[in-house]
Amino acid sequence: MEGTGTGTGTGTGLVTGTADITRRLDDVGYLVDEGTASALFLALTLGRPLLLEGEPGVGKTTAAKALARALSTPLIRLQCYEGLTAGEALYEWNHQRQLLAIRLAESRHDRLRDADLFTEEFLQERPILRAIRHEGPLPPVLLIDEIDRADDEFEALLFEFLGEAAITIPELGTFAARRPPVVVLTSNRSRDLHDALRRRCLYHWIDFPSPARAAEILRRSVPAAAEPLIRSATDFVGRVRGLDLDKAPGMAETIDWVSALSALGATGLVRQDVVRTLSALAKTPDDRRTIGDALDGLVGTGP
Amino acid sequence: MISASPSREPAAFLPGVDRAALAVAFADRLRRRGMPVGLTAVQDVVRALEADPPTSLSRLYWAARIGFVRRHAEIEIFDEVFAAVFRGVAVAADPNARRRPGGGGGAPSPTGPRLPAPSREDRGALPWATLPQVVAGAADSAASPAVPERLPGDVSGLADVPFEHLDGRSMELLGEWLRAAVAAWPVRRGRRFAVGPRGRRPALRATLARSRRTGWEPFHLMRERPLDRPRRTVMLCDVSQSMQAEATAYLHMMRALALVAGAEVFAFATSLTRLTPALTHRSAADAVDHATAKVADRFGGTRIAANVHTLLASHHGGTLRGAIVIIGSDGWDSDPPDALAAAMARLRRRANRVIWMNPRASAPGFEPSAGGMAAALPYCDELLPADTFASLRRVIDAIARTRSSSTG
Repeated sequence: MEGTGTGTGTGTGLVTGTADITRRLDDVGYLVDEGTASALFLALTLGRPLLLEGEPGVGKTTAAKALARALSTPLIRLQCYEGLTAGEALYEWNHQRQLLAIRLAESRHDRLRDADLFTEEFLQERPILRAIRHEGPLPPVLLIDEIDRADDEFEALLFEFLGEAAITIPELGTFAARRPPVVVLTSNRSRDLHDALRRRCLYHWIDFPSPARAAEILRRSVPAAAEPLIRSATDFVGRVRGLDLDKAPGMAETIDWVSALSALGATGLVRQDVVRTLSALAKTPDDRRTIGDALDGLVGTGP
Repeated sequence: MISASPSREPAAFLPGVDRAALAVAFADRLRRRGMPVGLTAVQDVVRALEADPPTSLSRLYWAARIGFVRRHAEIEIFDEVFAAVFRGVAVAADPNARRRPGGGGGAPSPTGPRLPAPSREDRGALPWATLPQVVAGAADSAASPAVPERLPGDVSGLADVPFEHLDGRSMELLGEWLRAAVAAWPVRRGRRFAVGPRGRRPALRATLARSRRTGWEPFHLMRERPLDRPRRTVMLCDVSQSMQAEATAYLHMMRALALVAGAEVFAFATSLTRLTPALTHRSAADAVDHATAKVADRFGGTRIAANVHTLLASHHGGTLRGAIVIIGSDGWDSDPPDALAAAMARLRRRANRVIWMNPRASAPGFEPSAGGMAAALPYCDELLPADTFASLRRVIDAIARTRSSSTG
């Protein structure tokens, strides 16, 4: 067996090696190459967050989802956007209930102290705190999706969590995870991430899959599609990606397109079908025209 | 904490190798090639080798790459160093080292990768940023020694001199002067909120915190308002043959924008080069030197349309959304005009404002008739002359004026 060593220090013992994680992801229908498998395995074993980058549609988010399924552990997702604050990502006090509690105490002529208002009863968990306080046999997978869409102030908010798997709430104290969650961050590189964030994470760049692997993925995700269709479609997409396009089709678009073709009952690539389903592949009018113009060279001789 | 002794597994790819020494030596080679490798990364690699002793070269490759590399641009350097170090071992086993053009044939000598152009080269001159120079510059034109405010007067006098008549030092001085001008930059409404008396949205958290002073009775309703953020800025500068005289001055302007307004800046002639990291260097002279060294194709032909298209398609294309886009070029384009029109139309749809700076526009009787210029004009908000530092400053002022009028 390859890679028998289990982690010595912070290792979670979730998986035994690269081959193991490849097989388990395979079981839940997600095919990985050696690089991605190594990255996921090392992130699990070293207990470090993993930063995934790659072109849109190569399956960064899917990798995290599949990892959660493969480990049969819950996936906690935090979608990033500009203006994301601690109130939406870490925790928030339930102010409405606090106000009610104040009224209630007043009507009963109770004495109210600070500590009465800032207890766990009034604490609202947001994704990161939920991941830290998760009770279960296995740590959850926390997906921090499209971190580049959040502003750089938010990155700074993550440092304590990424470094120590802990959150400090001033009124209550520091919460440290009993089992540090498996953290996966994804980024589309629309903004340069800070070096401090990169330093805290392992890094992996996901490449677009090779034609052979793309065909294998399509066989899994579109079981209804005929074998010749899949082979000619991956070939077609590979050549389309070589064209000068505004938005080159990713794996997600390819899956959509083959599903569309297969729903139309196509068993091979025919010009008419390609034209009818092109909107699944080309996402701007310019791209539609570029692919349309190049269609004669791409489809070949037809039926 | 980490045992450096060889692992017991017989299947290990590198038996008897001191992992710590291997990782440190490798990190050292990467650093010499200009790739920042921190101690955390070295530790990661050692632990990775410990956790999963590599059974093949490609295993070793992935473990080292995931540990060492922190950004996409570093992958190429890493591949080269990896290929140089392990070339004799079993390169044929590794598809990833072979895939990249830099990895195999053109690899550096086995004694160690060749160093890139050193950044700390000794120019043999005095450090430029010293007080005597400024004093000397002022003393040169000492007409009235009684005037205490010498520097601004000098600068504004120089500002109207065309670029080709300025020496390097005056350029630097004017570059700093430009930097001071980029103070009031247009803003957009951000998605973050701050508590303030002018706000309209009730701020529950602040209200409750305030009520603590009044026996938990919420007397004062606190409000919050959205914060303004500086509008994103992208500047593209033409460094082709026809723009040779303006190139350095434009680099100074780009540096001012990058430092003060956080702009993304690019230079282009036949291909696009991102200059933001190079130009944000602390010293103006070093920054301009770095930037000049980085642009490989300067003073060649111009392909404006192709470069705008490349920018739109790259992962920096997102920064164009809602941004102020400044293009500095004379509009002589070797791409067909309709290609530029198509690229500019896409750019216009993403940007908030498009401003074209043309060094020829101040000449009497100027008409935007150059093929590219005529095609691009319908998509520009403004066409401004930019042949002296004073006119560059007027460009900045023109952008700053829109501060209040367009916040949408």
